[in-house]
Amino acid sequence: MDTKPKIALFQCQWCLYSEPDQYWVDHKLPPNVHLIKLSCTGRINPLHILNAVQGGADGIIVSGCRPEKCHFKEGNLSALRQHDEFLNLLDYVGYERDRIRFVWLDLQDRGRIQREIAEFETYLTHFGSANTLATRVNAQVGGING
Amino acid sequence: MMYILEKKRLNQILSDWAQNYEVYVPQKVENYAQFLPYHPSSIINLSDPHKTRYPPKALFLPQSEVMLKYDSRLGRFEDVNSHQSPRIIFGMRPCDAKALTLLDTVFDTEEYSDPYWKARRESTVIIGLGCVEPPQTCFCTTVDGGPFNHEGLDAILTEFDEQYFIEVLTEKGEIIFNQLQLATNQQEEQIRHLQTEAYKEMEPAFETSGLKAKLDKIFESRYWEEIAESCLGCGICTFLCPTCFCFDIVDEVQRNERVRNWDTCMFRIYSLEASGHNPRPTRKERTRQRLMHKYSYWLEHINQIGCTGCGRCVRYCPVGLDIRAMLRTASIYESEVVHAG
Amino acid sequence: MDELKARLRVEIERLFDEDIVDVVIAFKKEDSPLRPQPAFFRSRDNLDSLEYNALCQNNLANYLTRYSHETRIGIVVRGCESRSVYALVVEKQHPRENLYLIGVPCDGIIDLRKIFHLTGEEITGYAENLGVVFVEYKGAVYKFSRNELLHDSCLRCVHPNPVNADILIGEPLPEGDPLFVRTAVESFEALTKEERYAWFQHEAERCIRCYACREACPMCYCTECFVDHNPPRWTESTGSPAGTHAWHIIRAFHQAGRCTSCGACERACPMDIKMTYLTDKLNEDMLNIYHFETGMDDKTQPPFASFNLDDRNRFTA
Repeated sequence: MDTKPKIALFQCQWCLYSEPDQYWVDHKLPPNVHLIKLSCTGRINPLHILNAVQGGADGIIVSGCRPEKCHFKEGNLSALRQHDEFLNLLDYVGYERDRIRFVWLDLQDRGRIQREIAEFETYLTHFGSANTLATRVNAQVGGING
Repeated sequence: MMYILEKKRLNQILSDWAQNYEVYVPQKVENYAQFLPYHPSSIINLSDPHKTRYPPKALFLPQSEVMLKYDSRLGRFEDVNSHQSPRIIFGMRPCDAKALTLLDTVFDTEEYSDPYWKARRESTVIIGLGCVEPPQTCFCTTVDGGPFNHEGLDAILTEFDEQYFIEVLTEKGEIIFNQLQLATNQQEEQIRHLQTEAYKEMEPAFETSGLKAKLDKIFESRYWEEIAESCLGCGICTFLCPTCFCFDIVDEVQRNERVRNWDTCMFRIYSLEASGHNPRPTRKERTRQRLMHKYSYWLEHINQIGCTGCGRCVRYCPVGLDIRAMLRTASIYESEVVHAG
Repeated sequence: MDELKARLRVEIERLFDEDIVDVVIAFKKEDSPLRPQPAFFRSRDNLDSLEYNALCQNNLANYLTRYSHETRIGIVVRGCESRSVYALVVEKQHPRENLYLIGVPCDGIIDLRKIFHLTGEEITGYAENLGVVFVEYKGAVYKFSRNELLHDSCLRCVHPNPVNADILIGEPLPEGDPLFVRTAVESFEALTKEERYAWFQHEAERCIRCYACREACPMCYCTECFVDHNPPRWTESTGSPAGTHAWHIIRAFHQAGRCTSCGACERACPMDIKMTYLTDKLNEDMLNIYHFETGMDDKTQPPFASFNLDDRNRFTA
């Protein structure tokens, strides 16, 4: 792959409580990483992930707080099953499940998010760019079958 | 005066036309036929008597049409060119062609002319294929049409004995066909006979005189609740209908385009207003709207029934609702005690 | 079949005579040939038009969500339909006390489109007897075995018998083999990623967004569907690949733990699009991972309605 892989980062706003990390994500994120900050991973709808996939994301990272540490008590648990299954469905129609990673972060994990992103980038460069489901291109006149 | 085209020469003539025109012909897709651009490896399907499922109105009013592209950061937009290169549509059934003339009264009038529609209409030659064996679900003769009706066509073909007999109806059609061999008087008579037989085979599906008045009269009655009970409110009848034209214009913000899409009165959000009020709040009002529009309101606007009897709504309704039966029941509702459920 | 219809009729008459129900949802004889329609009987009158045969292709549970919770509804249900009814009961769409399930064990729905493909569309007559189907087309009679013509979902049916019906009309049938579904899903998974995506695209590209699949599905009863949500527009209503892919993927996903594989979606589609391969996969996962099958009782919550700290997960610690 000549260019860097395009990564979408869905970040729960509480999981990077340490200031340096959050500052890095807010201001020093590499240009190929697109940040979507949310109140909680429980807020993430599979539609959002699909939207990122259709926009051409080669990889997606979802970062959130650990199970017992959710700011909203159970937010991060309620989405767990759905995200898990959604990856199965995406893989089934051709978007490899290894392109989506979930990362649980803790207050103590300083510098973790940078390492995860760097590591994921290396992995994706080796894996190749996504060539399925990235269909959000301009519509042709005529809709179906021109 | 009729021209003859041997069926085995069809591919040749389509290829010749394709040098100067975009040629559309019904082709096999899965188990059915659809109008698609012609190329030499196309699998042509003209023998399906049920016409294409997806109506050819899509070639003039596309299901999704980009109207303009914009750049929200720079605050600029660009119009999409409405120019259309010359086209030939081969094999359109008379019901679909007549429907186009009905849609002309919506999209190309004195007060308002839709440039996208107009460009396509003007640059297209429509060659019709008449129906020698009209299927059971068709009722064009009931609504002022017929299996060999000429409205909307530049030429019409009758299939017989491995040949197509061609009647040219307009100048556009004349240009395309005048190189061909002419039919003899005897052959012509045979074809006319075939056409008359096809007309006769189709019995009236319902009574149209007095229908509008009756529908208006029972507008508020319970009849519509009975009909609407099994209606799913999907968009099949409207999307496959050659005379339905309702559309929705949306800004696809993630692609920076303004697009016009087909819409259907059968969906709840179609008539939902920004205040939250919906003048057609339940299925009853929406199902009623479809019938009233075709068989009453169109008559008010242009004094013609807004349906050309193609029968797609009958054939593809998932719950088997039949518009002919609905109208028959409507026309005798309350004069006898008839329970439609 | 006629004996079954007669027994159904007797039961429906009894329900009205004893004032047990306000409305009975069943099928009635057709306006168009070969197309029985959903019927809504409100009294003993007009039961002459009652119909029940293998051409009754809709999932009647679809209509439950249209009635107020106080309406006492009698409904003729086959295997998958009864499970859809229970799935709706679990989601509190209608109280079980106000439902009367007239169960009929089902040996499958005949897919009219399969007949059309083998003969042609102008069928003038249809009859079946002891596993053989007779079809009249252009004056000639054709014979087919029932199995050739069953709808694909019915070929893979695991539960033909209604679940916990209030009365059973007809003899119970043997349960189907879950292996049919598993084999179908696994053989699709065995294809390469490119092949799977190509198949998905091939099916999705014919979609005209008529939403017949949604309207025919008993579990799609949202007042506002995710495609209608605006703003923000997560799914395009335009007939573009992005919009259509999102429609198929997300609608299937919203059925996870709710779908009973009845196949009404495929039968409703005017463009002959296959979509049960997606929901079958999700149902398999629900079964294997959460040991859950939709609609087998009126209490068990679907997997996505709950969570457990022991859930397997992919989050790296």
